[in-house]
Amino acid sequence: MSPARTAPRGPAPGALLGGPSLLGRGAGSGRLTSGATPRGTGATVGYDWLLIAAALLLSIIGSALVYSATRLRLQDAGEEPTATLTRHVINLLIALTLAMVIARISQTTLRAYAPFFYAATVLALIVVLIPGVGTTVNGATAWIRLPAGFTVQPGELAKLGLLLLLASLLSEHRDAEDVPRSRQVIIALALAGVPMGLILLQPDLGTVAVVAVLTFAVIAVSGASWWWLAGMVGATGIGAFLVVQLGILSAYQLDRLAAFTDPDLDPLGAGYNTRQARIAIGAGGLSGTGLLQGEQTAGRFVPFQESDFIFTVAGEELGFLGSALVIALLGIIMWRTSRLALQAPDMFGRLLGAGVTAWVAFQSFESIGMALGIMPVTGVPLPFVAYGGTSMLACWAAIGLLTTVSRETLIRPD
Amino acid sequence: MTLIRERGAPARQRRPRRTRGDFRPGNPGRRLRLGLVLTLALLMVYGGRVVQVQVLDAADVSTSAVASRMREAVIPAQRGQILDRTGAPLAATVQAFDIVVDQTMVEDAVGAAGGIAPIVALPRWQVRRALTGERRFAYVARGVTPAQWQRVRDLGVPGVFGQPTRQRVYPAGAVAATVVGFVGTDGHGLDGLEYGLEDILAGEDGLLIYEASAGGRRIPTGQHSERSAVAGTSVRLTLDRDIQYVAERTLARAVRNAGADSGSLVVIDPATGQLLALASAPTFDANAPTASDPQSRRNRPLQEIVEPGSTSKVITLAAVLNEGLATPTTRFTVPGVLYRKGEDYRDSFEHGRLPLTLTGVLARSSNIGTIIAGERMSPETFYSYLVRFGIGQPLGIDFPGATRGILAPVGQWNDASFPTIAFGQGVAANAVQIASVFATLANDGIRIQPSLILGYQPPEGGIRAPAPPARTRVVGAEAARTMRQMLEMATSEQGTGSAATVPGYRVAGKTGTSDRIDPECGCYRGYTSSFVGMIPAEQPRAVIAVILQNPRNGYYGGQVAAPAFQAMATYLVQAMRIPPSVTPRASLPLEW
Repeated sequence: MSPARTAPRGPAPGALLGGPSLLGRGAGSGRLTSGATPRGTGATVGYDWLLIAAALLLSIIGSALVYSATRLRLQDAGEEPTATLTRHVINLLIALTLAMVIARISQTTLRAYAPFFYAATVLALIVVLIPGVGTTVNGATAWIRLPAGFTVQPGELAKLGLLLLLASLLSEHRDAEDVPRSRQVIIALALAGVPMGLILLQPDLGTVAVVAVLTFAVIAVSGASWWWLAGMVGATGIGAFLVVQLGILSAYQLDRLAAFTDPDLDPLGAGYNTRQARIAIGAGGLSGTGLLQGEQTAGRFVPFQESDFIFTVAGEELGFLGSALVIALLGIIMWRTSRLALQAPDMFGRLLGAGVTAWVAFQSFESIGMALGIMPVTGVPLPFVAYGGTSMLACWAAIGLLTTVSRETLIRPD
Repeated sequence: MTLIRERGAPARQRRPRRTRGDFRPGNPGRRLRLGLVLTLALLMVYGGRVVQVQVLDAADVSTSAVASRMREAVIPAQRGQILDRTGAPLAATVQAFDIVVDQTMVEDAVGAAGGIAPIVALPRWQVRRALTGERRFAYVARGVTPAQWQRVRDLGVPGVFGQPTRQRVYPAGAVAATVVGFVGTDGHGLDGLEYGLEDILAGEDGLLIYEASAGGRRIPTGQHSERSAVAGTSVRLTLDRDIQYVAERTLARAVRNAGADSGSLVVIDPATGQLLALASAPTFDANAPTASDPQSRRNRPLQEIVEPGSTSKVITLAAVLNEGLATPTTRFTVPGVLYRKGEDYRDSFEHGRLPLTLTGVLARSSNIGTIIAGERMSPETFYSYLVRFGIGQPLGIDFPGATRGILAPVGQWNDASFPTIAFGQGVAANAVQIASVFATLANDGIRIQPSLILGYQPPEGGIRAPAPPARTRVVGAEAARTMRQMLEMATSEQGTGSAATVPGYRVAGKTGTSDRIDPECGCYRGYTSSFVGMIPAEQPRAVIAVILQNPRNGYYGGQVAAPAFQAMATYLVQAMRIPPSVTPRASLPLEW
């Protein structure tokens, strides 16, 4: 039953050189998913090596950038300059291990445990709100402190839990009918609403937006009626309008929006981050100042530079070439994940792929966009690159999930 | 196979809703492709934006990146010291700290204030208020000593920092405070010589331009340029700190004993014109200038004018002597009242017709006798002597607010001018000018412009002397010597200044009691009492002028000011190692 036990099988006939189309040939075509070699033996059959390589390269670049962004501050504080880097690398190793473990779990098992995992993440989101348990950083109570300087951010895990549950819920109909019933969509929205509401209480608008986009993508790809999609967009619009009009947004959030429209409005206040981020990126020029050589980075002008604004370190120290490489690698990941979705043999895999694509894409666009001054500032980490153990864990877990999809595709031709 | 499939087994077949145009259910594959295309398009937009920011606008942005990092820091120049003639510091600059606070970092302002307040000697509430609030920068205490800062730092209060700075200190405290003045919190002179000599003392601040981090720290690898500071020049004064100290103490006692408002005491070395002491009363502590009454910060010997009164008679009589119009024994018949052009003039004591010699006129301080003797010369001649003695002329001492006194040009004199000026009214001078008149007589008739600065000590070493003071022959040496003998008679038992004698020494001097101009009403009210003299009379080493304003316990100069002269002279003969007089006192007849 487990795909791992059925391997090795070798390449499927005619699959190797097939599929010149970038996007493959649509769902359930039975093709090998990987543009790289599918010839892996044993346990690694069906791995999308291009996806894995892109994610791994981003993680390595990210480690260097994290070190550059944190070493001087640690040094000034009298700590080991590599302290944050060390934690980051440990997080990365844990994440890679987790990804490998997940890749070996069968989709059936994943679907079976999805509700429990979802419930666990919701519970964690509740726990973090208990006074004295959650750690508050910059106004958001989003972290649970663990020993040895490690923390867990339940909001990041919630993306994963919700994605798994939504995918399994909305793929149910596939056996009976073409589209999900309205009841399913309503349940899906309710399931998404619980973590979103809890995260809003932290409050962490950035993560809420990621969850919303992820939910929208999964529901859209599940084939739900346009009415639902239009309704979700409309509700978001009305909600945003009401939030602004009724003054639910806190003052700093409004300031940030105002600063987004005019960065020079308040160069030392709300517009400071955006302005400094652009200065840092611009200072890199074509080829950058070189790793660890960035003066703006050394000067710590950009806040949260190892996490939300890490793209500015790439921009300054690696220059246009480096930031273009980061964007290209993220593009490869989005391409491969959506390709996996298209080629997935069933709706569950397809929805997982769509959700991960939307998640990675939105977080990338938000994090890079705010550094480039084309998105309003709200804190989301750049996937695979930024410092943040739980984010790293969630991203690599997503790679692991998609690997189960690609394996399923390989071993379960229509 | 799976739970869900078992549960989702076909139960009822729903009619596909594919009939209604745009609202038919989506095709998952098409939606995915649409999403991917949108994503990749957005990726292109981002790529374009990166090209714009990093390639096209890079030069601009890079420049503003450097500009946003560049910081300028002023390197304060070491301010020159103010020293007394022996090199003892009257004003010096020492290492100090400003204690500053980032209020947002302070957690327990009350507790922290309790720890800091006693160390920096400030009230607890004041420190607590400085620590409380949302400001990122505020001063807690300025100019504390390194030891104090060390103790505050040891408290480990988060958000409290020490900024190295320099502190101007006045080691002698109140001594010479009205001469030296003080500086403001920015280290620039606000009063006295600190203000007057600002350009010399201040030096030139340096400038450090460096790249700084957002927190303001210097980026070690960043570019920087530095222009060194040029230290200020130290100034050595003619004052002697010890003599100054005794002068201030003596004056303060005299002011207190006489119940006077204020006073001045000047000591001049007649051979050089150098001021050895320049005392004011009241005075203040230069280390805490803000706590003092502004009136107490005035340098009265230089800034306050008085009508000199009888001390000024020496000018009139020296002129008469020098012109050869009289000798010390020339006989004058002095009436009780003198009528001149509609005014009547009297002496300070009632008398009938008095047979006085010229010496007697001076020693008994007769206004009428002085007028009669003075009338032997023309107003123009008299005026020329006043000018040469320095009355109404600039002192040549570059001191803020120093006055030149008041002397109307002879062409503007009215009928009363000559007689009143002859005995020292209707003319105004400061204490240094009055002392300088006596110093001229002490220096055998050559006036040396009084000076306050002995030399400049630039930071590169050596001493640069100021321009030599102007020397003017005012009266002949013989006339000056004769005047000294006559002034000696004024301190004799028969004279008005008998309280000024110093046992073992010949003392020459003159009392003065004049109507005082009250600055409050602009009218005459009360008296200005003075004594100006020299010691020893045969070869004067020091000239001392004591002036008391508005004394209430008696008002004659010989009564209230002469004792201060005596005390000062007694100290000076010891301090300056002046040997006792071996020649006999002058003996001239006062009457005939």
